Amino acid sequence: METEDSSSENGLLHRKQALYSSLDSCFVIQKEMYRGQQYSQIYFARLHLMRTLLYSLLPNWKPHIQVCTVIGLEEGKECIIVGTLYKHMKLKPSILEEYSKERSATPLVRPHNFMHPDDHLILEDESGRIKVCGDVLLPSVYVTGVVVALHGKETGTGDFWVEDVMEGGLPHQIERPIKSGEDKYVIFVSGLDIGSSTSNPLKFQLLVDHITGHLGDKKEQSIAAKIVRVIIAGNSVEIPRGLLNGQNLGSKDQFTLFEPIKELDIQLTQIAAGIPVDIMPGPNDPANFSLPQQPLHRCLFPSSSAYNTFRSCPNPHLFQLDDVSLLGTSGQNIDDLEKYSDANDKLEFLERTLRWRHVAPTAPNTLGCYPFTDRDPFFVETCPHVYFVGNQEKYETRLIKGAEGQIVRLICIPRFSETGVAVVLNLRNLDCHALSFGTEFS
Amino acid sequence: MFSAEGKLFIGFGSSLPLFGCEIRLPHADPNMAEIETLGILDEIQSLVSDKLQVVSYKWLSRNFLVSSNDAKRLLQDFVEKRGTGVEVVYTLSGWLKTDPSVYHIRLVSKPKLTEVKQEFDENCSVQIYSVQACLPKDPAVLWNAEFVQAEELFKQPHEVNNCLRDNRFCGILNSFVKRNAEEANGTTSVLPVKTTGTSGSSGYTLANQSPTIPQPQQKKIQGTSPNVTLQSPNVVKDVKNESKPAENKLKVPQLTVNTKKGETDKNSSGTGGALANMWGRASAKSKAECASAKTNGISNSADAQICAREEIEHESSDDEGQGVNVRRSYNGEVGRKRRVVFDFSDEEDEFKDAVNLASPDPPKKKSMLDSKRSSYSSDIEKSKLNFEEEKEDKPNFKHRKETDRKSKEENLAFGNHNNMNSSSSEKVINQVPAVDTIAKDKTRDAAPNSPKRKKVLKTRIDERGREVTEVVWEGEEETKPESDTTKKADNIPASNNSNRPSAVKKSPAVTANAPLNQVGKTGSKKAGNKDPKQGNILSFFKRV
Repeated sequence: METEDSSSENGLLHRKQALYSSLDSCFVIQKEMYRGQQYSQIYFARLHLMRTLLYSLLPNWKPHIQVCTVIGLEEGKECIIVGTLYKHMKLKPSILEEYSKERSATPLVRPHNFMHPDDHLILEDESGRIKVCGDVLLPSVYVTGVVVALHGKETGTGDFWVEDVMEGGLPHQIERPIKSGEDKYVIFVSGLDIGSSTSNPLKFQLLVDHITGHLGDKKEQSIAAKIVRVIIAGNSVEIPRGLLNGQNLGSKDQFTLFEPIKELDIQLTQIAAGIPVDIMPGPNDPANFSLPQQPLHRCLFPSSSAYNTFRSCPNPHLFQLDDVSLLGTSGQNIDDLEKYSDANDKLEFLERTLRWRHVAPTAPNTLGCYPFTDRDPFFVETCPHVYFVGNQEKYETRLIKGAEGQIVRLICIPRFSETGVAVVLNLRNLDCHALSFGTEFS
Repeated sequence: MFSAEGKLFIGFGSSLPLFGCEIRLPHADPNMAEIETLGILDEIQSLVSDKLQVVSYKWLSRNFLVSSNDAKRLLQDFVEKRGTGVEVVYTLSGWLKTDPSVYHIRLVSKPKLTEVKQEFDENCSVQIYSVQACLPKDPAVLWNAEFVQAEELFKQPHEVNNCLRDNRFCGILNSFVKRNAEEANGTTSVLPVKTTGTSGSSGYTLANQSPTIPQPQQKKIQGTSPNVTLQSPNVVKDVKNESKPAENKLKVPQLTVNTKKGETDKNSSGTGGALANMWGRASAKSKAECASAKTNGISNSADAQICAREEIEHESSDDEGQGVNVRRSYNGEVGRKRRVVFDFSDEEDEFKDAVNLASPDPPKKKSMLDSKRSSYSSDIEKSKLNFEEEKEDKPNFKHRKETDRKSKEENLAFGNHNNMNSSSSEKVINQVPAVDTIAKDKTRDAAPNSPKRKKVLKTRIDERGREVTEVVWEGEEETKPESDTTKKADNIPASNNSNRPSAVKKSPAVTANAPLNQVGKTGSKKAGNKDPKQGNILSFFKRV
C-alpha cells in the first residue's frame, strides 16, 4: 500500500481530531412500545416539563402575582396562567380532507403558509382552555404546542386578556473554556439529493475531494486537514418514487431504485475513509417519517458502514465536539413553523424554538411525531453552542446572545443540490463561512 | 529546460538515458522515474486524443497509483509538453472578492481562467483539474469517467483495501480511520482494517505495532452472533476501563476462546448459515472494530485517545442493537412461523405480542437458538462427528454449554435407537460441562437413556391460554405447539419443538440416521397434525 509519508520533507498533513460524544440517546427509540396510545401523553409530558421550568422562573419575573389554573380564573383578577398554546387556524388542512382528495404515494408538498388574519390562540392546561386575546401575544408568532406563562386577567366575555408573556427562554449553557486552541472546522451540508435531476454529482465530488484533501494545493489542503467532521443534515438521496406504486418491483426497477443510494454510499466511502462523518435522515430519505427520525440503517451503506468514522445519526441530532455542543435537525421543524407562523427569516424561527425550549413545538399537531408516553425528547435541556437546520433555501447564520450570557451560533444550511453551498464552522470561535462550488466552466 | 516543477531535462522524449542528468528539486516525488513519467504522459495522450476520455487528476492518480498531488503535476507536465489541442479545466479556489465570507471553488476552462480569476482574491490557487479532447457542454460529464472508476473500485470484494477505500492518494493523513474489511459470508480469514500511513510518524508507532495482535482473532469472528454479542459488551466494558497495551494482551485470550467457538459453530451450523453469517458479520464487525478500538487506545497522543473514546462509544451503542438484531434474525432463520426481523425498527412488533419477552431472559432465547443450531449439527453428524461436538463443547460459554446439553438430551429423547451408543457417549460429554443454566427446562431432566419411548399426544391449555399440543414421550415431555401459536414466550416448552423444524429441515442431509430421524419426526409431525392419513411432507425429502 502506498503511503505518502515516505516522500516529501514537508511532512504530511495530519488530520485534526476532535473529541466526539453523541447525546442522541433521547432521540433513538429504544424501549418504547406502541400500545395504541394517543398524543395526550406527550403533551402532558411537555406541559409538565415546561411548567416546572416556568414556575421556577416566575419569582424572577412577577413574584407578586398569583398563579392559578384556567378553571380557577376569576373575572377581572390579575393572575398568571401557564399552559400550552393552541392556535386555531381556519386554513389549516384537515387530515380527512387530505385523505379524501389525494391518495398519492409521493409526499404532499405544501409550501404555502396557512395563516389567516382570523387565527387566534387558546391556552390550555389540564383543567381547561381559554381563548387569549390582546396585542402582546401575536398569533402570527406563536404556534400550537408552545408552553408559556401568561400574565393577564379574564375579561367579561370569557377571554383572557394578556398583559405580558413569558417563555422558557434560552436554557442554561455550559460555558466553553476559553482556550486559544487551534482552528478545527466542521462542515455542514444538506440536501445532496443524489439521484434527483437537479443534483450535480460533479459539485458533490468537488466537495468530497476538497474535504478529503485531494483538491487544492498544499495551502488549501492544510486548511482541509483542519476539518474534523462532516455532518450531512438530511435529504441525501432522492429515490425515484414513481417506481413505488404498491406493486412488486422487478429486478430492473429495484436496481434503479437503489442507484442513488449506491452512489451515496460510494461518496460516503470516500469521505469516511478520511474523516468522521455523521449522516442524518431527512424528509426524503429512506427513514421513518415521524420525528425523531431514526438513524438510516447501515444496510443502506454496506461499504461506508465498515468504517469506524461512519456514523448514522437520528434527526434531531445532538452531539458534542470537543467542548462545543451542537444540536440540529434536517429541517422538518423549521419548515413546519414556516407554514403556520411568520417571521423575518429562518433564523428567527430557529431562535424562537430555542427560546421556547422546544425543538419542534408543532409536533405532534402538524408535524409527525412518535407518541411518547413518558417524555418529550424535543425539550431542550441545555443550550447548545451551535444550532443548525438543514435543507433551507439559502445559507444564513447569526450569533444570538442570551440573558445569562449564552452564545449560540444559528446556522441555516442550504440545499446543496440547488446552491452548491456547504457551511464551514470553526469550533474555536464559532465563526462560520460558506464553502461554495461552481462547475460552469465554459 | 525547466518544467514548472523544476525538473531539469536533458534530452527529449524516449532518448533520455535511464538515469539521465536529471536534477530533482526536493518537493518532487523521488519515486517517479523519468521514463515512467513519459510513459504515463504517452498514455494520457492516447486516452485524450484517441479514446476521447476525460482524464482528471483523480482518475489519473487511481489509475496509475500515484498521489493526487503527483497526478496534478503529471497533468501539468502533460499540458506543458503536449498541451496543444487539448482542453484543460482548472480549479480555482479562494475567497471571493464580492463576498469575503464565501470560500469558492470552481472549475474553469483555460480560456476563461484569467477572467474568472478576477472574481477571486489575490491569493487564490489554481490547480489543474482535467484534460480532455473537448469541453463538454454538461459539466457532469467530467465526472463520469472518474465515477466509473470509483464504481469499479467500489465493487471489488469487501476485504480488498483499494485506493478508494483507504483514501491513500490524498494529501491528508488520518491514521485513526479504521475499516472493517471482513467479508460477508466467508469462513476464510481476512486481514482486518489497516491503519493508513502510520509508519512514518513516531507518534503513532504503537498503534502501528498493535494491529497485529487482534488480527488473528478478528479473522475468526464470524457466525456465532449470539455468542459474540454476549461477549462484546464485556469487551467493550473492558476497553472502556483501560487504555494500556498490557491489558489489551490480556484480552486476547478471551477473544481467542470466543473465536474458536465462533469458527466451529460456523462450521456446524450449515444450512441457514448464510443469513446467520450476515448477521454474524455485522456483529463481528462491531467486535472487530472493538478490537481495533483497543489498539487505538494505546497511542499517547490526544488525538488517538479522542478516537479511541469515540470508537468505544460507537461500538457499545452498536453492539446492543446488533445483539437484538441477531436474536431476531435467528428466530426467523429457522423458518418458524414468525417474522424475519432485520432491523431495529421492527422490534416494536416483537414487543407487542410478547409481554413475556421480559421474563424469559435474552440468553434464554439465545439458548433456544443455539439449541436449534446444535441440533442441526447433531443431526447431521451424529454418527461420525461426535468428537467434533465434543470439541464444540469445551470452549463454550455457559449458555452454549447449557444449550448443547439440552439439545443433546433432546436428540436422545427423539429415540434414535440406532444411536444409542453415540447418544450415550454424547450424554457423557454433556454431563461433563456442568453449568448453571439460565433457562432451566423443567422438561430436561428425564432419563435420556431409556430406549423405550412411547409417543403420546396430549393437548392442553398453557399459561397464556393457548392450546398446546404436545407429543409426550415416556419419561420426558416435549412439546410441539401448533405452528400458529408459536411465540417467543414459548421458549421453555418450545425449545424442544425447535428441534423438530430444524430436524425436518436437516433431514435431506442426514446420513445413516436419516430414516430413523425422519420417522421419528415424521411421526411426531403427523401426530401434531392429528391426521395420520395425511401425506407427510418428509416423504418428499425421502425421495431426494
